[in-house]
Amino acid sequence: MSQMPSSQSDRNCTSCSVHAHLAQMGVSIGHYDYLVALAGNPNTGKSSVFNALTGLKQHVGNWTGKTVTRAEGGYQLQGKNYKLVDLPGTYSLLSASQDEEIARNFLLFGRPDCTIVVVDATALERNLNLVLQVLEITEKVVVCVNLMDEAGRKGLEVDTRALSRDLGVPAIPTVARTKEGLHELARTAAGVISGEIETKAKRAQPPHEVQKALDELIPMIDAFAPGLPNARWVAFRLLDGDHKVRQALLSGELATIEAAQTTTDERFSRAISIHGSQ
Amino acid sequence: MSKSLSTPQNILDRSDQLRRALDGDFRDQVVSSLYGEAQRIAERAVRRDSSNKWDLDQRIDRIVTSPVFGLPMMILILAAIFWVTILGANYPSAMIASALFSLEHQAALLFESWGVPDWITGFLWHGVFRGLAWVVSVMLPPMAIFFPMFTILEDLGYLPRVAFNMDWLFRKAGAHGKQALSMAMGFGCNAAGIIATRVIDSPRERLIAILTNNFVPCNGRFPTLIMLATIFVAVDFPPVFASIAAAGAVVGVVLIGVVFTLLSSWMLAQTMLQGEASAFTLELPPYRRPSILRILYTSLIDRTIFVLGRAVMTAIPAGAVIWILANIEAGGTSLAQHVASFLDPLGYAIGLDGVILLAYVIAIPANEIVVPTLMMVYLGADLMTELTSFDEIRALLVDQQGWTLLTAVNLMLFSVLHNPCATTILTIWRETRSARWTTIGALMPLIFAFVVTFLVATLWRALV
Amino acid sequence: MENSWTSWLFLIALAVVALLFWPKTGLFVAISRWRELRRRERFEDALKHILAWEQRRQDATPESIGGALGLVQSSALSLVADMEERDLIHSTGGALKLTAEGQRLALHVVRAHRLWERYLADDAGVPMERLHRAAEKAEHQLSSERIDALDAHLGHPERDPHGDPIPRADGSLEKDNAVPLTDWPVADIAWVTHIEDEPDVIFHQILSTGLRPGKSVRVIENTPECLVIDDGVQEHRLVPVVAANIQVAAEPVNTERPVGLRSLSELAKGEAAEVVELGSMCRGFSRRRLLDLGITPGTRIEASLDNPFGDPRAFRLRGTVIALRKDQGDQIWVRSIGEKTTTKDLSASDCYTNPEEIKRTAENAAQGISEA
Repeated sequence: MSQMPSSQSDRNCTSCSVHAHLAQMGVSIGHYDYLVALAGNPNTGKSSVFNALTGLKQHVGNWTGKTVTRAEGGYQLQGKNYKLVDLPGTYSLLSASQDEEIARNFLLFGRPDCTIVVVDATALERNLNLVLQVLEITEKVVVCVNLMDEAGRKGLEVDTRALSRDLGVPAIPTVARTKEGLHELARTAAGVISGEIETKAKRAQPPHEVQKALDELIPMIDAFAPGLPNARWVAFRLLDGDHKVRQALLSGELATIEAAQTTTDERFSRAISIHGSQ
Repeated sequence: MSKSLSTPQNILDRSDQLRRALDGDFRDQVVSSLYGEAQRIAERAVRRDSSNKWDLDQRIDRIVTSPVFGLPMMILILAAIFWVTILGANYPSAMIASALFSLEHQAALLFESWGVPDWITGFLWHGVFRGLAWVVSVMLPPMAIFFPMFTILEDLGYLPRVAFNMDWLFRKAGAHGKQALSMAMGFGCNAAGIIATRVIDSPRERLIAILTNNFVPCNGRFPTLIMLATIFVAVDFPPVFASIAAAGAVVGVVLIGVVFTLLSSWMLAQTMLQGEASAFTLELPPYRRPSILRILYTSLIDRTIFVLGRAVMTAIPAGAVIWILANIEAGGTSLAQHVASFLDPLGYAIGLDGVILLAYVIAIPANEIVVPTLMMVYLGADLMTELTSFDEIRALLVDQQGWTLLTAVNLMLFSVLHNPCATTILTIWRETRSARWTTIGALMPLIFAFVVTFLVATLWRALV
Repeated sequence: MENSWTSWLFLIALAVVALLFWPKTGLFVAISRWRELRRRERFEDALKHILAWEQRRQDATPESIGGALGLVQSSALSLVADMEERDLIHSTGGALKLTAEGQRLALHVVRAHRLWERYLADDAGVPMERLHRAAEKAEHQLSSERIDALDAHLGHPERDPHGDPIPRADGSLEKDNAVPLTDWPVADIAWVTHIEDEPDVIFHQILSTGLRPGKSVRVIENTPECLVIDDGVQEHRLVPVVAANIQVAAEPVNTERPVGLRSLSELAKGEAAEVVELGSMCRGFSRRRLLDLGITPGTRIEASLDNPFGDPRAFRLRGTVIALRKDQGDQIWVRSIGEKTTTKDLSASDCYTNPEEIKRTAENAAQGISEA
């Protein structure tokens, strides 16, 4: 975990086409080697990171909830093709709002090779809440500490090394608007995928009783589904009574993200029509 | 742990038991422990330079949300945007119009010299091309000015402050403050505004926002409003104030739209969508310096070209339809005249005329082509008048077609209140998947439009 | 002109005919579908009625069903016969009993009803007095799949907004040890656990006193003519028949204003405070949203902005500015930062403090102040 990419200076690689534009949004990204998810709080410049990496031009507005649908794009690095999925911005993965469900389902069922969590350097505390939640689901995470310039203007100094150390995953400072640090980010994600950079996710210590409950459930889940990468998270969700996870467990099969998303949309429409008819 | 204990049902049952045994709210405990951890990590990673106090944002916020200046500033900013749009669009519009119409003229002459049959020349150049020319000249300049300015506001972070200022009003109407965000997006395009309602979590309040978004005049309707304001309102003012008066009139119409948004939200909340306000949590993000290049890209390529492209795509078939209607005759009058005189009684009742209603029927696919349709039907097939300035349009409308101030006022009202365009209706359906709400979303504004214009026309005729 | 008027009439006539006879959506089809729905609703309502009486250890009869559903004798009897034929109930000497299947169905409807009420109250913000009627309709339209999803979405609530226990998915029901207010000893403090929402007249009368589940009352006087209670704010005089519809218990439900604390709404502009807890009436989605935004115990929060109407207000916390409405701020309990008696280091394990402990700390703090 100590192998931080920032220490290996490789700045002369300007010819590497990080910003190479692969394909437009949607299903046209036919072949890709790796799948990278882009998560983050609303309004952290997540869309800017997405645009800068893919060369796409998603609109970036300064209001919460700007990206309300999932956008996809691609980029190329050292001969490999990466598909980047921009998830809706969320504060958390625990509530059952529509966008949180989309983001969470993708992390869980979409099985990305790596997840980049974009955080706002000016409001680190609030953003780390989401990072810790993502770390509960997957260890293959790179934290993109964006808006470093704003933080500087506000007199905040963010020590990304300390952050990496505490979180157990790499943290890369970036300014997405000027594309500063994005090359580094893409390279780090590649390193995490290949296993060159080891990650060991920090997990928040839950209260004692919760931990006891988890300790009891995790072996049961492990026994039922050996090799499930995130039994702990599944246990968490079961304790919270997550309907989707219950269903996935009962059916024995984890539904694909597409299916999960359709039901979400339909559920919303149904809620509207039923509610409206009262 | 034996395998037999680990059936899915066992796991579920045990997790249910454990959940009930947990003290207090499970979620509270988990979130608290997460935030506790986040706080500790953040404290170690962030050093705060205490000499640089972070209060520029707060100072700006104190002004833009101030009890005294907050609301007037909002209206003033809106008025300023319209004023610049009207001022800046006037001249380029006339230039584009005269260029395109002279092209039409030359091309028609050229076709004539080649011996192409008259009806082909007429259909192609006086039908399809003229529709196109109208749309481009009427729409392009205002959009190219309006969109960049609006995008600046959006990128700065002003919109959430508007939602913050307006929430109380929406709440009184039984709706959600974030509806202000979707309304703001509706200025660009109502379909985009309806998609933006996804930021509202409560299904009930989101539905209200979807159904009432139409009362925000979208960019396809601005040209109509701007034209009417310029022709009928601005003429009564000295030239120096003319554009300000026109902008004031447009803002007035927009405010009427806002009033109707609140009114219809309130009516929905009292009848079909009863309920009280849900939770309102809105982040006021820090102000960000907009990046000029991105703004130009977003507003010109993404928005202007997109909206214009859509308008052009509907203008071409609409131009063809209008030309056919205007040139195929039955019993000595054109089809267009037949339809228009059929609609005339209804049009008269609401202070408009049959041609205007015909224009609105043809413009169902896109509101942008209302003015072009009006012009083409009024001018008919054989008139070759080239209307390149507002003075000439005024002469046509007032002197030849008998428009009055009532016509102008009611057309403005009708433009703000009438049914959404086909794209918007489709978007309502996509977002709600309900035929019922789509129908209501399409018909409620139309009913509003007819009732209001009818009342205005009746009162006006009784009083004036 | 003449011509166009007749055309208009024709068009209108055409529209009316279409409205009536259109397949699938026409008025006639709609009416027959509505009748089918009504039939099922009647079934389910009758099952619910029998279940309610069984829980009160009373035997439902065709007459009681007729009374509850507003049916004449003959239709009540045919309804009972219908249900018997379908093996939902069996009758022994006039008393009606649910079969296993009938009980399952009845519990399903009750569960749907109470969860829907919970949903309407928590997420949709429908006022208390409209909940019951809305849920009466919705209970017949919800599939068990949807109910389970709703249950999870709401965080598996144990009770509906009236205080009634919600049957769990497996049909089990929490035991209720509440008694009617009329049976409560004079001078003791009672906690309202449930307000019966039928009949309407009485329910509204109770609501108008301001009593809600979770409030505490003290019985001052209990005579056959009148019951006098004190809710801490004022005295209410209730007729026993009204008071009998209020269920109370000794077990406190913690919704009172915690001692010595202020609500977030009471902060002056520019004033900072520390969050102590979220009120227990703040539930469901709205509670989760507040938690997700970082409003957790121990958080420093500062009233930052007022707006032209004074509501909502914006608060600064964890480096961000969040706008909240007053009724949300009313649910968030805070204390001034200087008021803390013990400085607690916020580490992960003791970050969450349970309400009892918070209350104790708050009481200590309050005592400290009054002594000073």
